[in-house]
Amino acid sequence: MMQTETNQNLLLSMKKKNILRELGFTPLGLGLLILVALVPLFIDNQYYLHLIVSSLMFGALAMGFDFTVGYINIVNFGYAAFMGVGGYVSALLATRLGISPWIGIFVAAAAAAVLGFLIGILTLRLRGMFAAIMAWFVGIVLMSLASNMVDLTRGQLGLNVPLLFTGSGKAPYIYTILAIVILTYIVLKRMISSKIGLAFNAIGQDLEAAETSGVNATKYKVLNFTVSCAFAGLIGGFYGHFVGILTPAVLHTRVTVEILALCYIGGRGSIWGGLLAAFLIIPIFEFLRPLMEIRLIIYGLLLVLVMIFYPGGLAQFLNQLAFYLKDLMPFKKQA
Amino acid sequence: MDLSATGDILLSGILRGGLFVLIAMGLSLVFGVMNIPNFAHGEFYMLGAYFSYYAYAVFGLNPILAIMAAGAGGFVCGAIMERTAFRSLRVRQKTNWVMNSFLLTVGLSIVLQNSAQALVGTKFMGISQYWQGSVAIMGMNVSIDRLAGFGVAMATVLLFWIFLTKTKTGNSIRAVSEDESGAMLVGINLNRVYTLTFSIACMLAGIAGAALLSINPAYPTMGLAPLYKSWFIVILVGMGNVGGTIIGGFIVGMVEALSYYNLGAGWQDVISLLVIIIILLFKPSGLFGKDVKGVWER
Repeated sequence: MMQTETNQNLLLSMKKKNILRELGFTPLGLGLLILVALVPLFIDNQYYLHLIVSSLMFGALAMGFDFTVGYINIVNFGYAAFMGVGGYVSALLATRLGISPWIGIFVAAAAAAVLGFLIGILTLRLRGMFAAIMAWFVGIVLMSLASNMVDLTRGQLGLNVPLLFTGSGKAPYIYTILAIVILTYIVLKRMISSKIGLAFNAIGQDLEAAETSGVNATKYKVLNFTVSCAFAGLIGGFYGHFVGILTPAVLHTRVTVEILALCYIGGRGSIWGGLLAAFLIIPIFEFLRPLMEIRLIIYGLLLVLVMIFYPGGLAQFLNQLAFYLKDLMPFKKQA
Repeated sequence: MDLSATGDILLSGILRGGLFVLIAMGLSLVFGVMNIPNFAHGEFYMLGAYFSYYAYAVFGLNPILAIMAAGAGGFVCGAIMERTAFRSLRVRQKTNWVMNSFLLTVGLSIVLQNSAQALVGTKFMGISQYWQGSVAIMGMNVSIDRLAGFGVAMATVLLFWIFLTKTKTGNSIRAVSEDESGAMLVGINLNRVYTLTFSIACMLAGIAGAALLSINPAYPTMGLAPLYKSWFIVILVGMGNVGGTIIGGFIVGMVEALSYYNLGAGWQDVISLLVIIIILLFKPSGLFGKDVKGVWER
């Protein structure tokens, strides 16, 4: 009797583990996310909470960016512009039509997805670098439009955006963006571990070979691009309602470069690497603020060094570490 | 549109275009020879502007010497950059070179921009003019400064073209751009050619930054606009086509002048991009592009 009960418990816990695995969470990663969720209960410093929201936001952006660059090997160099489009769409819906931000951010995601889809169709038939440059150009155009269509966006003056929550507390924002982060992670991870993800990987590694073996490369590339842009729009919508003001600077190439650096330092092709890098780098840089330019020089150097010497980034480092630790375990399974 | 307006647009388009050619040529050269889509090209333009500012306004050199100093500074910085960063990357990574080198240049661009900001601060460092006076051309006043800038650009492009087609070193650069392994077989030192190519490209960008100093004052983030304009041109004519950039530069200059005249400031990027996107829809490899498929794979 006892025996079967323990067995059942064991079975149940294994099943639980499998569900988690299937959603792409390791126990450690899940623990860290729960830790983040617990932070607002213990820390009341709004500044720290703001930092956590920023880290989660940029982490989510880096994950969406990695979905394109790490798998189909195309740098979406207009990523910040897609995010900015999402921000403006949701903000304008709220200010002009009085639509609730909770609906607005999903419309924003849809708008960014449609834009991504159209641009994808136009450029993704071409080779990787070309698509990257074209996405960058589109980003520049969108930024120009945001600063020139003053009637709509108020240009450089900035558009005032209604906040998502009344009151000055940051804790509800943490839970909202945490939910977005988890949603992003699960959707991206699910796609990658499915057959679609296999096609993405094949395309990223060798386009010619993938096409020869019957993968419709353009279709998958456009799909990937659309999904990645949708998340940029979603997070952009949240960004507007979190910060309360939107300027064309959100769409600037500088922001894309920042997301790109997080993604690469975190480790491309891992999805979670960017999130981890955001959590390490954004707070550290915030505390280094007095150093201003120096910290950005370090940022750039970090990117250069990772590119040359350690292309796997943080994710590869941690994976190797975990591998060695497993090796050191005393009760190793015998093969 | 009356005649004087046409002349106005034509002239300002040509003057703009000339300097675009100079910047875009370096970008195109680096891509054609080394397969690096250089995102840090604008930063060498910025360095050139600073070098010439210091040479002209601080050390009081003669304008021509100041521009030459900026070119030399760009050359040296480019050589250092190539020897340290790109050579290290080339030794370590053979696959996916185009994308990785692009990301490397993104990092370099952050480093250069912020180093400039840390060293000299964020204030605009400009001069009112190199040369005084203006001349009337086709009924409009053009400052000698702008003409001289254009002249410098054209002279540099001409000299560079002669170097590329007539000298042995120039020919070896062209050989590498056409066939790397073939060039190596006939005894061309690839590393030397790469360093030289990158340095020359940076020199051209530096000269452009110096020649435009009186119009665009030196500023740490000034490199972005010339960077994406030269990318417009390079994509328009087909990547790696150095000769084509001469025509492309003037086309983009003319489109910008037209949109500036008809729509006012701020819209030129939108218009030139729309033009480029429409052209590329019909001819994806660029106006004079050959099939560059092979290059993208590396």
